[in-house]
Amino acid sequence: MGHPATTNPLIIMMINMTVVFIVLVSLIYVIKLIHFFDPTAKKEEEKSEEKISTPPPAPVQTAQVVEEGIPQEVIAVICAALANYGYAGSQIHAIRPILNKTWEHSGRYYHE
Amino acid sequence: MEFVNAFSVSLQSVWYDSGFASFTLGNGIMIAVGLLLLYMAFVKEFEPLLLGPIAFGCILANFPNTGFFGEEMNVMKAINYGITYEIFPPLIFLGIGAMTDFSPLLARPSTLLLGAAAQIGVFVALGGAMLVGFDVHEAAAIGIIGGADGPTSIYLSTKLAPHLLGAIAVAAYSYMSLVPLIQPPIMKAMTSLEERQIEMKELRQVTKFERVVFPIVSTIFISLLLPPIAALLGCLMLGNLFRESGVTDRLSDTAQNALINIVTIFLGTGTGMTMSAESFLKADTLLIIALGLVAFMGGTAGGLIFGKIMCKATGGQINPLIGSAGVSAVPMAARVSQVVGMQAKPGNFLLMHAMGPNVAGVIGTAVAAGTMLAMLK
Repeated sequence: MGHPATTNPLIIMMINMTVVFIVLVSLIYVIKLIHFFDPTAKKEEEKSEEKISTPPPAPVQTAQVVEEGIPQEVIAVICAALANYGYAGSQIHAIRPILNKTWEHSGRYYHE
Repeated sequence: MEFVNAFSVSLQSVWYDSGFASFTLGNGIMIAVGLLLLYMAFVKEFEPLLLGPIAFGCILANFPNTGFFGEEMNVMKAINYGITYEIFPPLIFLGIGAMTDFSPLLARPSTLLLGAAAQIGVFVALGGAMLVGFDVHEAAAIGIIGGADGPTSIYLSTKLAPHLLGAIAVAAYSYMSLVPLIQPPIMKAMTSLEERQIEMKELRQVTKFERVVFPIVSTIFISLLLPPIAALLGCLMLGNLFRESGVTDRLSDTAQNALINIVTIFLGTGTGMTMSAESFLKADTLLIIALGLVAFMGGTAGGLIFGKIMCKATGGQINPLIGSAGVSAVPMAARVSQVVGMQAKPGNFLLMHAMGPNVAGVIGTAVAAGTMLAMLK
């Protein structure tokens, strides 16, 4: 291992922090550039505009499925959370537990 | 008579070859430490997936006469090679990349600043470690605990201070599991109720093009700038590319399930195997654990301070609580931001907003590690 240029903690801290900020600020501009040159962005915008301009179809009443064993409180919490994002209760088609534990597992890998 | 003599010699030989004859008090203490870590992992559920193998590796490392690190090749030596030659941390990053959704970061790139600010803890701990007598290489390896990123901590300490690997890994993973206990008091002390109640605007939709191009471009950019972390960052972004491409589901599935689980077992056991009594039972270990806490608290505070600055700069559009998620610990730190935000104002959903700085923290910690490697190696 070679000799470092400096062993002054303050200088090391300042230099490293500056480099970290410069790299991450550069990444901000990289992301903005990607967004700017995104050839698919306009199509997506047009699609969403079309969606807005087309009159909404008459609501179709479908049977809502709630799997057995899910407590009423949990259903209420899920409905409230979705309502907070602007979805009506009638738009919920089914509430059923999934067996995917990716979030739980990812929480345990880091620690990351 | 001859039979008795032969029997006695054989018994003596068995005894001298056994671990009991060479067993030291230090071995006993380290096995007790391993048992305590096992209890924390499996009963208290503190990072059980990693702390479990680390604890068991620690117990195995303290049996005398096993020949694990002798001349001949054996499974434990092979596992240790994966640590010594920095093979496992990048493979873990491959899985993490496959599990990570960069959309919140791409939707609000300014949160990268929070990921950078939270690295303050790394450098505060680095300075602290040098002040208490560690050399600059050891101090850098200790400081990276504040990044709350286990694989990066192991990666950097293997390169800069391999003799401290066991203590650094245990401190890093222990504190990461304690994020929900360490962060909330600091978050509440540093923010007002009004700030914690701020509701953030919904994030914009991110296109598939952005999600696919970002890992490629950022790998090219960062790897050219900081080649020492090309393996770590490249694997992170390759895993993410598997996830986002939409045509490599099988690879993405393998990276985020089978592969990462296998490598986690090896990484944990191999790290535990470095915790022999001779290398772990030192006053330095206690100092490392104390400095790790300083690093964690410093990182949380740094993210919050920058969160408050961004809150003021944007006219109150950013909730400063998402700043604390700038320490990596994905997704736990983001969940803590969500929980503290919900306590201040029920119905205030900060989780997706906090995921931006959270994944920025992963990149930030890797960049901090790369900067220190470039400067010190």
